[in-house]
Amino acid sequence: MKMISKAAAALLLGTVVCAPALADEGTKVALVPGGPHPYFAAWEQAGADAKTEFGLGAADYRVPAKWELNLQSQLLESLLTQGYNSFLIFPGDAVGTTSVAQELVDNGAQVIATAGCLKDPSPALFCLGTDTGNSAYLGAKELIRAMGGKGKIAHFTGFLVDPNTQLRIDAVQKAADETNGAVEVVQVIADIDAPQPAEEKINAYLAANAAGVDGIITTAWVPAVVAANSLRKIGDKRIKMVGIDHDEVVIKAIADGFVDGTMLQNPYGQGFIGSYVLNRLRNGCTLKEDGPWKSNALTNRFVDSGTVFVDQATAPTYVNAMVGITADLLAGFEKDFLTCS
Amino acid sequence: MAAIRDSALTRAFDNDWIGPGLVSLIAVVAISMAQPAFLSSFNIFVLMSAISVNMVIALGQLVIIGLGQMNLALGSIGGLVAISFVGVIERYGVPVPLALAFALGIGIAAGMSSGYIIARTMISAFIITLAGLQIFKGINLGITEAQPFYGVPEAVKTFGQASVIGPLPWLMVPMMICAFAMWYVFNRMRIGRHILAMGSNPHAAELSGIDPKATIIWAHAISGLLAAIAGLMLVARLQIGQPTIGDDWLISSFAAPVIGGAVLTGGRVSVAGTFFGVVIIAIITQGLVMFNIDPFVVQIVLGALILWAVAVNRLREVRIARVQARGAGA
Amino acid sequence: MAHAGADRPIPPGSAPRRMSSGMRLLLGNEFGLAVLILLTAATFALTLDGFTSPFSVYTIGRQIGIDTMIGLAMMAVIVTGGLDLSVGAIGVCSAMLFGWLMQVMGVPVLVAVPLAVLFGASLGFVNGFTVVMSGVHSFIITLASMSIFFGVMIFLTKAAAFNGLPPQVQAFGKMRVLPGISPLLLITVAVCAALVVFYRYSTLGRQMLAAGANARAAELSGIRTGRVIVACHMLTGLLAAIAGLMVTARTGAAVPSMAGQLGQDWLLPAFLAPVLGGTLLSGGRVSVIGTLLGATFINIMTSGLLLMRVGEFWILAFLGMMLLIAVLADRTRQIFLTSRGMI
Repeated sequence: MKMISKAAAALLLGTVVCAPALADEGTKVALVPGGPHPYFAAWEQAGADAKTEFGLGAADYRVPAKWELNLQSQLLESLLTQGYNSFLIFPGDAVGTTSVAQELVDNGAQVIATAGCLKDPSPALFCLGTDTGNSAYLGAKELIRAMGGKGKIAHFTGFLVDPNTQLRIDAVQKAADETNGAVEVVQVIADIDAPQPAEEKINAYLAANAAGVDGIITTAWVPAVVAANSLRKIGDKRIKMVGIDHDEVVIKAIADGFVDGTMLQNPYGQGFIGSYVLNRLRNGCTLKEDGPWKSNALTNRFVDSGTVFVDQATAPTYVNAMVGITADLLAGFEKDFLTCS
Repeated sequence: MAAIRDSALTRAFDNDWIGPGLVSLIAVVAISMAQPAFLSSFNIFVLMSAISVNMVIALGQLVIIGLGQMNLALGSIGGLVAISFVGVIERYGVPVPLALAFALGIGIAAGMSSGYIIARTMISAFIITLAGLQIFKGINLGITEAQPFYGVPEAVKTFGQASVIGPLPWLMVPMMICAFAMWYVFNRMRIGRHILAMGSNPHAAELSGIDPKATIIWAHAISGLLAAIAGLMLVARLQIGQPTIGDDWLISSFAAPVIGGAVLTGGRVSVAGTFFGVVIIAIITQGLVMFNIDPFVVQIVLGALILWAVAVNRLREVRIARVQARGAGA
Repeated sequence: MAHAGADRPIPPGSAPRRMSSGMRLLLGNEFGLAVLILLTAATFALTLDGFTSPFSVYTIGRQIGIDTMIGLAMMAVIVTGGLDLSVGAIGVCSAMLFGWLMQVMGVPVLVAVPLAVLFGASLGFVNGFTVVMSGVHSFIITLASMSIFFGVMIFLTKAAAFNGLPPQVQAFGKMRVLPGISPLLLITVAVCAALVVFYRYSTLGRQMLAAGANARAAELSGIRTGRVIVACHMLTGLLAAIAGLMVTARTGAAVPSMAGQLGQDWLLPAFLAPVLGGTLLSGGRVSVIGTLLGATFINIMTSGLLLMRVGEFWILAFLGMMLLIAVLADRTRQIFLTSRGMI
């Protein structure tokens, strides 16, 4: 994981149009996920790179020890006390994290909801994340194409309490509906973003229904890994599958042909760009009210951190794909969203 | 001693498993009629893999239940063992057999240290294993920072995915060894009798010359070993050294033995009953997925199932009219 | 749990009879804990930047209020030698009812609060009634009811939060009575005072202690232990509901995930605080003040460790060690007291 992020960083720093690096010792960024999860591992490197690149006072990746709303709140409160003034937060709960974010803002800090959004109205400046709905929609489109435009899809996804899960379920459904009945979502299995339940339920499902399913789409990290392993185990290349994220297991399954492709998200870019924006905002820039904000089910101030589909051909060099989207977004960000004096 | 043998052992193995066994059989027949794929060879493989791991987990709790205590740290020991095993292989290139011995050693040591503190201080096992749960899980997170180890050797991966014959997974082998060993321990070995005697009536057991401290330490060491084996089996099955292994063992580790007729105050356990308890839970989990039922209903069903099992056990106790003088506790 | 007899080292009040009350206070659990709190707080205040800032004091205090309430909920049932794994589930269910009443039914806050608290008590009643009727240990009954309560709640709410609560609720959670004091902490202190009076002076409170210390003796002296045990579970449900409402006030919304899957996130604070405070798991003794001090100690330590940046991941191991050391120290103290008292 680390190696990948380092590679990403090296490539990125080479390609990025050198953003004006204002040396402000005062911007101390904390990157705080909702709990430990491999998805966020890239934030650590992103923070470290942003620190050197933009001359930040600090950009530290701090993880609550468990996925507990209360632990995250305690950690955030402590970080504020420690002098952090800029926060990239993955909300442990789209509603439940609002009050602690408000508290941070009340005490002079700035907050960007990152990788997942807070439900409006919220004190966050904006939400920087994968447009999960769009990503799932594009993934489903790719899957439908691989399936030849017809058949039955099973959808495996993450925690029901994750604000993104419902968006993903709806998006996959939408892609299927657009085929006018040629493609049908026959089952959605949710709440399996942990290895043991994912293993049991996905295998149980495939065991009973493998013959009746033509395509699988997974929109959460662990289900993608488990489903990729299962297809390898059955030795099935008939069932098409589109995964999510860049776990080694998924990338390897794509290379070996068991999985058709994966929707990359951009955790590194989220951490890197988020830190950059927070620093700019502390140094004379303001957000444009009329910027090209997108909206999703949770918020009207949303910035897509990008998503990209990689298949067998592009999987070996997927790091380039990730770096590409980060560079594009960073290059245009100031023009689109910031007013700087 | 004779009375204890009568009440605890004979009864336990004569009829505790019949009820859950029948329920399992009916469930299998009913589901396979509604959904023929249930009996497909891949499904049997999947089901048996799940049952194998969960059975070893349940056995780990069963030993402590027999003693009249509970082990909340079971899952955190399993998780610590799992990441230690893959960790030493990935970081230090330790050969698999050595890593295996090391990992099992950690399990035994973790269990023994809980047992030792409980035996020495006689503080309730609940509190000591609650502290153990936090400590072992904390060490696990401290080492891994919640990132999985990927360096699982091919041999181990194959073990988790290969079948012995037909649809029967290799994972069944350690499960059957453990199940038979535990049956042997409870029925033929002195330590097993001592555990059950301590669970039935600690004072009588002590008077009859049983060393309570040694018995408690032994029971917890066995429990730690079983947790370790279950953790390793999960590594093989998940193909990855996940720090979250063990997080969700608690409820099912109690549910299966209780459905299988174990009495939580100790002294009465059934290995066969526990097996069918595990089977019932596995079938329900799988059945609900198969028939596309709301995942949260699973929780409600599991809770209701525990209550049902408790009621059945209770009724049988009343019918046998062997009302135990011991206050079952509030 | 079968070793309840062995767990109880000294029959309450009998062993240290010869000691002066001053001596007993000095060796008491609460006193030791209070000294420990003062020492750690002083150390952190002198060495850690920001530990004593108003914001830090305010958030620590508020968290102490909530953790203590959760601990008291568990304590109320530990009195009987039982336990309640469903405290978190009850807390969340009550909070969700609270949110639903106000947001969907338009019930005013002051009516919704008592209704939600009563609902918590009635869930506690279900637990207590089942435990007494079945004669099965409360561990297994509440293990089942935790799944059922939480499962039904999620099923009904579809895991959606209520975030359109009247603004007073959130304002209350963010209010500062004095600079650095949350009203949530004051509520907890008031509840502590009420409980101290309840256990010491009310008939029911004393019956709870008697039934917990020795059920059979209590039964012989005319106490209907079954009813008393049901009452204990109801008190647990009631306090858990109050804790749920406090969390709702702090969050400004009723959120199904506020106590984690099945409400399990509350279990550690629920046991840590009373056990650190000297409540015996075998029943018969409570320490309301000890529970408050226990929660205070945990939160000061956690906060200090976070500020020292020892690493978030090691805090869990640290809390576990602390629990272990606390019970071992308590054990040593009891052995010491016994030996001194018996001479």
